[in-house]
Amino acid sequence: MEQTMTPARTLAARPGGTLLTAAALLIGVGGLLLVALTLPAPGEGTPPNARAWLAGILALLAVGAFGVRGAAQGESRAARTLPAAFTLILAVLGTEALLRAYAVPAGLIPTPGRVLSALWTARTVLLQDTYTTFVLEALLGFVAGTVLGLALALLVVRFRFLERGLLPYAALFSSIPIVALAPVIVKAVGLDWPSKTVVVAVTVLFPVVVGAVRGLQSASRLHLDLMHTYAATPAQTFRDVRVPGALPFVFGALKVASTLALISAIVAEFFGTNGHGLGFRIQIEVGRFGLDIVWAAIVLASIAGIAFFALVSAAETRLLPRRS
Amino acid sequence: MTTARPSRMAGLGPMLIVALIAAALYWPLMLAANVGPAGRTLASGAELDCKTALACASQLRNPVMPAPAQLAQGFTRLSTPVTSPLALPYNVGVTAGETLLGLLLATVTGVGLALLLVASRAFERATLPWLVASQTVPVVAIAPMLAVLLGQYGVQGFLPKAIIAAYIAFFPIAVGMSRGLRSADPLHLDLMRTYHASPAQTYRLLRFPASLPHLFTALKVAVTSALVGSIVAEISTISFSGLGKMLAENSRASDTVALWVIMGYGAVLGVTLVALVNALERWVTPWSRR
Repeated sequence: MEQTMTPARTLAARPGGTLLTAAALLIGVGGLLLVALTLPAPGEGTPPNARAWLAGILALLAVGAFGVRGAAQGESRAARTLPAAFTLILAVLGTEALLRAYAVPAGLIPTPGRVLSALWTARTVLLQDTYTTFVLEALLGFVAGTVLGLALALLVVRFRFLERGLLPYAALFSSIPIVALAPVIVKAVGLDWPSKTVVVAVTVLFPVVVGAVRGLQSASRLHLDLMHTYAATPAQTFRDVRVPGALPFVFGALKVASTLALISAIVAEFFGTNGHGLGFRIQIEVGRFGLDIVWAAIVLASIAGIAFFALVSAAETRLLPRRS
Repeated sequence: MTTARPSRMAGLGPMLIVALIAAALYWPLMLAANVGPAGRTLASGAELDCKTALACASQLRNPVMPAPAQLAQGFTRLSTPVTSPLALPYNVGVTAGETLLGLLLATVTGVGLALLLVASRAFERATLPWLVASQTVPVVAIAPMLAVLLGQYGVQGFLPKAIIAAYIAFFPIAVGMSRGLRSADPLHLDLMRTYHASPAQTYRLLRFPASLPHLFTALKVAVTSALVGSIVAEISTISFSGLGKMLAENSRASDTVALWVIMGYGAVLGVTLVALVNALERWVTPWSRR
């Protein structure tokens, strides 16, 4: 299908294409907003006739999707960022409209509007939870795990014995479900946040070791021979050939680890906390059917996760030499 | 994940030595970890058959690190009778079933998404950031809600857990598969065009075979994620069997020896599943055997 993406089409050369796209987006978003505002919230007023509204909502979503498709044409900055933004807006408005049309009780799925208001009313508690989970547990654990993992990888590459004796275990350990480790570590280290930091560090450690070792060994024979001919010292070879060659592998592992870190912090909180953290909040509020708070916590966790991933990606683009 | 493929036998010696060193270090580490709690238990005047903190370190009811004898005892206690639905072998089987079903669902979804991602750049731009974001949503939170929702529509038993496992595992497959579909040699693609092959033929003859190594690399990551997913799902939904349920129960009962034994079973299961994917890879792509 890549043949169809020739420059002629991607330049959006059709006259009026931009106008049509803007109109479709406006109709989709505006229409859904209107529907969401007209329909009564679940539990308030008479439940509307869902079947009739469904057709309209789906039509508006289709028009919006057409607009998103139009906005994705071309190579401009807007074409890279706008489609995703509009997809989110359409999805949120569509969910709100559908939940209202079907009068789904808030105890089952709260509407996005309720989640937003819960996010605002409980903001101090939720922000504190995010700080505990994201900064103290995920970020700190991630840094500790990465540093330890890189050090271990250097040792493994330096000593052939360790490569044979230790690396298979690292590969083995990375296929172990870390959740099973969480209760043991929480029991051993205690209920306070450091126990979750340890869980995160252990989760991050093994992918980093495996990735870094594979990266450090990926230097091509040719380059190593060349450095040898230049009479480069081992340190120089290491700095100029092995480390740059390893970086893509390390960052690949770090990206995987960044999403893992947050999830394992939240899962670890499940096995005991002293009353802080997003995982604790989610668990408590699920038990009390405060699902709007639960989803608010999920939204914050997602934002933290995206920020984390973006941080690692930004570091990657800065440190990696451009491939050309 | 297994990087030490060549000379499998040559690696066995060092692995054994490392294992022996770890085993030799276990006893002193265990004593060091347990001596504090043992001292506190003694000071509180609890009934114990031992006199000193050091002697008690290997006999605690809830040790930080269980002694080898305790581990062996816990292992036999939790593994027998083998056929009992309360013993671990049965529960490991349940979790393995959920994981494999989840992996199947994840593969179908992931490959489907990869096809869409490769076919349409508009789709990629509109959804890829949110696919990434979906990976940060804590499944622990959605799992109970998903179970309630699915239960309303009559979906019960294995399937809700498999769906949650698939939810964690589909993303690496989608990413790996789309990378794989794009990895076909441009020269070969040109050749296909010269032969006037239809897009379907190009996919069947060139892109799919080229994507298989990427798919299997992704599957090895995905199968571990799926295992984590089904365990987490068992912890946070109402479950009557599975590793996660046993983990949650014993965590609540503070039975640390049992937790260590379950952890060991989980490790064995994880390694077995990865080995299974490896075997499948060798069977499907015999030409790529190194």
